[in-house]
Amino acid sequence: MSLKKYLTLTRAGIMESLQFRLATAVMVIGNLLYLIIVYYLWKAIYASAGTDVVNGMTFTDTLIYLVLATALFNFMEMYTVWEMGRNIQTGKIVLDLLKPMEYQRYLFWSFSGTFITQFFFTFLPTFLVVAFVTQGTIPLGLNLLYFMISVVMAIVINYSMDFLVGTICLYTESIWGINIMKQVVVLLLSGATIPIAFFPEPLKTVMFYLPFQSIYHAPLTILLSRASDSQQLLTTLGTQLFWCVVMMLLSKLFWKLSLRQITVNGG
Amino acid sequence: MKRKGLSFYVRIYLKILAQDIKSKMSYRTDFIISTIGMIFTNISGFVSFWILFRNFPSINGWNYDEMLFLYGFSLVSLTPVQCFFDNNWSLRMYVYSGDFIKYCFRPINLFFYYQSEVFDIKGLGQFAFGIGTLVYAWGKIGLAVTPFMLLKMVVFLLTASFIMIALQNAAAATCFWIQNSFYLLDLTFRFKDYAKYPITIFSPVFRFIFTFVIPIAFIAYYPSLVVLRPDAVPILSWISPIIGIIFLWFSYKIWMLGAMKYSGTGS
Repeated sequence: MSLKKYLTLTRAGIMESLQFRLATAVMVIGNLLYLIIVYYLWKAIYASAGTDVVNGMTFTDTLIYLVLATALFNFMEMYTVWEMGRNIQTGKIVLDLLKPMEYQRYLFWSFSGTFITQFFFTFLPTFLVVAFVTQGTIPLGLNLLYFMISVVMAIVINYSMDFLVGTICLYTESIWGINIMKQVVVLLLSGATIPIAFFPEPLKTVMFYLPFQSIYHAPLTILLSRASDSQQLLTTLGTQLFWCVVMMLLSKLFWKLSLRQITVNGG
Repeated sequence: MKRKGLSFYVRIYLKILAQDIKSKMSYRTDFIISTIGMIFTNISGFVSFWILFRNFPSINGWNYDEMLFLYGFSLVSLTPVQCFFDNNWSLRMYVYSGDFIKYCFRPINLFFYYQSEVFDIKGLGQFAFGIGTLVYAWGKIGLAVTPFMLLKMVVFLLTASFIMIALQNAAAATCFWIQNSFYLLDLTFRFKDYAKYPITIFSPVFRFIFTFVIPIAFIAYYPSLVVLRPDAVPILSWISPIIGIIFLWFSYKIWMLGAMKYSGTGS
């Protein structure tokens, strides 16, 4: 198996994503606005809490967590459900199914170019700015390496989950509703909008048994943890690996089963 | 061309509405799933709100119930834009494909005809949620229930919704000039999430920006003060209905300007 065919898709993706400069500019403005609001909101919350540490997190911790969660979201969200749904509705999916590559793999590699541009244009600058501004709050050491591993697994989990949800579109032909449901659940239960530390105790326990926290919470905790607790690190990475395998198998199986069902309108 | 009266437009609107609902009903699964998706969004918004504020008795002088009031206010004021102006989201597709030309040949107001074509029933769920929250918060805070209060409430809810409609019209209309207006529309759509916080949490610079440059403070904060804090209403709150109407008129003009400039794609 040669890697060349995948890298071709990656290259095409990079070129495609560089085409939409205006979109990127608007997205950057939107994110800046969001970050300004997050900053002042949490500042007000911490000011009225009266203590520096709320639920084991300082103001700076919370802010770094949320800023990087947003950066991660922009970098990982590929609108897979959207893309699949549209392809199913228009019938374009037939052409993709005929390609000499498995559809799930094809779609992933055609997104990979965007992963790379997004990494360099949104995640990395955000990370550098945050690291520079907060000066030493993010420990820079081996945890960066573990963070990278964790992010790769998060991407795979996120993609498999999206693919699984996208497959449902084969049955329902509803895109907007399915997509919004998935997005809302993932963002809330993964701790991307509010750090998991702030959730009430019983809900926290439930969340740790669900796959969502492996997408945002896991990589961010690894990045921000100062104490090198190898026990904890192994548990986090192990859980991620577990969900990686489970979600990949599930999405693959569901797709195989559903493909027999497929009806395509024209093409 | 003779100017048509209001009753004429109401009659036409009801007719188009009936057709739209009939056609939506033929995609029943999609309709049901979208409705569930909308309910999900509202529940998750509510849960995040609850998680965030349950730990803190007050934020910046705003107690929990007052924040809840603001939240409900923003939900209700966003309903009209969701229900009546949802077709704005498709505008860029019509303009791009050239199908927009069909709207130019009707002997009725172009803007009216375009917007009347879609009525989004999903918005009604949000409306119910918002009203429920408002009524609950109203009782908790112990605001008086007098005809005058209710009148103020209706007037200022309308004001708030005018601002949001205006923002979205203007954002959608940009597609007459820049083709892909999705990102701008999405940006204005995200404003609704930012509107539900009291503007006093921001620093003076951003308070100014969110009042005069990107007027998100008018979506909930300024109008709701009239009901919530009747003793100390800032002048901006009182003039907000006028600002709302001016904004709405401007956005209509921009929209029509774009539509008049539209020359089709030649197909």
